[in-house]
Amino acid sequence: MPSERRLHPLSFLFAMAGQLRQFLLPGLVVIFTAGATRGEWEPWWMLALIPIGGAALIRSLSYRYRLDETELVVRTGFVFRKERHIPYARIQNIEAVQSVVHRLLQVIEVRIETGAGKEDDATMRVVPVGAYQEMRECVLGSRHVPLVAASETGPPEPGGTVIFRLPGRELLLSGLIDNRSAVLIAAAFGLVWELGMFDSLFGLLFGQQASGRSFIRQTLRAIFRGPVPSLQTVAFTVAAVSALFAGVTLISMAWAYVRLHGFVLRRLGDDLRAEYGLFTRISTTIPLRRIQTLTILEGPLHRLFGRAAVKVETAGADPDEQGATGREPLAPIIRRDDLDNLLGQVLPDVGFGTVEWLPPSPGALWRELRRSAIVASVCSLPFLFILKLWTIGLLGLLLAFAAVHARRYTASLGWATHDGAVLFRRGWMWRRVTATRFSKMQIVALHRSPFDRRTGMARLRVDTAGAASEADRIDIPYLPAAVASDLHRRLSAEASGTSFQW
Amino acid sequence: MSADLEAPPDVAPASVADGVRRSLDPRIIQLERIVGFIVTAGLSAGLALAVVLTWLAADSAWIPRLLAIAWPVITGLLAWHSYAWPAISYRHESYVVDHRGIEIRRGVVWQREITVPKSRVQHIDVSQGPVERRFGLGSLSIYTAGTDYAMVALRGITHERALRIRDHLLPKEAEDAV
Repeated sequence: MPSERRLHPLSFLFAMAGQLRQFLLPGLVVIFTAGATRGEWEPWWMLALIPIGGAALIRSLSYRYRLDETELVVRTGFVFRKERHIPYARIQNIEAVQSVVHRLLQVIEVRIETGAGKEDDATMRVVPVGAYQEMRECVLGSRHVPLVAASETGPPEPGGTVIFRLPGRELLLSGLIDNRSAVLIAAAFGLVWELGMFDSLFGLLFGQQASGRSFIRQTLRAIFRGPVPSLQTVAFTVAAVSALFAGVTLISMAWAYVRLHGFVLRRLGDDLRAEYGLFTRISTTIPLRRIQTLTILEGPLHRLFGRAAVKVETAGADPDEQGATGREPLAPIIRRDDLDNLLGQVLPDVGFGTVEWLPPSPGALWRELRRSAIVASVCSLPFLFILKLWTIGLLGLLLAFAAVHARRYTASLGWATHDGAVLFRRGWMWRRVTATRFSKMQIVALHRSPFDRRTGMARLRVDTAGAASEADRIDIPYLPAAVASDLHRRLSAEASGTSFQW
Repeated sequence: MSADLEAPPDVAPASVADGVRRSLDPRIIQLERIVGFIVTAGLSAGLALAVVLTWLAADSAWIPRLLAIAWPVITGLLAWHSYAWPAISYRHESYVVDHRGIEIRRGVVWQREITVPKSRVQHIDVSQGPVERRFGLGSLSIYTAGTDYAMVALRGITHERALRIRDHLLPKEAEDAV
């Protein structure tokens, strides 16, 4: 019987720090608003932290775990005791996070996911590095079910085979391409600035005479009543916006460089292991057969640089948990030339290169055209008040775009069943290809809206256990009704013919 | 679908998995009407209360007047909906249980056909509310590991049948698919 272990003696510090971090932002808001309103009572809210910190302390002091032959046993609590048994076979993913502080103290935070829900089923905050290695070997070494095509790689080498690395240049490129979140931050910053929130903070940083505030409000006022803003003001705004955008892009690139520094994806037997991070080192291990869906994404910038991104979904991953400690894509950026190698490693039995895509119904173009024309009309409606007659010109532009969109979007739609998997491709600006194995399909559903019925079409949705974002699901629109119901029948037969493996 | 529905040898003729498309138990119409009327009565009473309260509180008379006119209209519409809708939706709902799983077809305007393979069922709840108990009806909630369709419900079958479908869909032997 293996002995029980405790967490690292300094665990309680990290447990409390983890709790405090959640209160950092609200705390800052409290401090700044308190300063603004001259209130005296707000800081007392911080007292609420004490019991929360205490709970974390008790949890980390009482935490015991045991590595049995087939399962991990976790016990917590002094008064209300809880014992949790996690069979190794049910573990979806092991993730280890090591920040700078962790590294100084030679400890590591381990998260174990079983696919049961949003909460990490067992988060060990924190264990010594040696204990993590041992745990990983225990959990990953104890599984005996081999993958279909695992034999060709032979016995796993100790270090595993490197599938690909990302050098610094690629990381910067990834930051440049994927700066959508940064743009959001910029927009939020602009909004905060515009509406004069956090006045005391800005006052502190820029002095009381911060210029440019409430520019949009003034502009709108000027458009509605009175003279047009001067050329100088417009030029200033354009310059400010582009400077903000450039700055944000640079930050995004720097952030990608720091976050993904030294990205290595390895294959160890039937597992994929990604390791990355400059300050906070993250190591994720995904068993290959736990992959529910795989999505290849190519945006306009990806195509410009000949790159793509690959995401995989496992069961139990929390789609909201992105960012600092959240899950990164399997390949945040990859050269088109290396893509085939990666796909061959991840979904070896699906030949992506030889897929024959089948088109949607011929009527799809009209459906999409009508839909986007309606959207365009609705979008241009509010401008009637601002642009008056010029709205017709705007509407014309939008309708032209709608026509181009409908043509290219319906041309991009395609589906296929191929080598035991179902594939779906869509999008012309942001192209996505999503694939899932028959054995990972849960429910196959056929949807028929009134528009579908009138045009003899249907929509087919394939549900998987991967909590994929809406954009990465297999949800094929505009199928000819007969094709759809045939596919529905075939896929549900395939699903019931295979037994589901998490 | 006849080609796919050849019963395998291990399914006895009296099994619930006969592969025949069935409508719900017709008593579901009456049950839904009763539930609908209860909801209507509740909403209508709440709205009536709002009329009285605004009458007492409002300075201008037109808001309570408007509400007083709206009240019978809304109540009437709700009552009509509670009466007519169950029969319409009954005509559009059916299910098939076969050796591979269950297929449920429903929806009047937005129609759906949902197939739950037997091999994907995680667990099943059979429940019976107070009104359902009077009619001897039950509801089946089938849970899968999916995301959009993590739970698929089938209302309006006899409780006894719900239990039989459950027994059919749940895995017999303790096979671990991992």
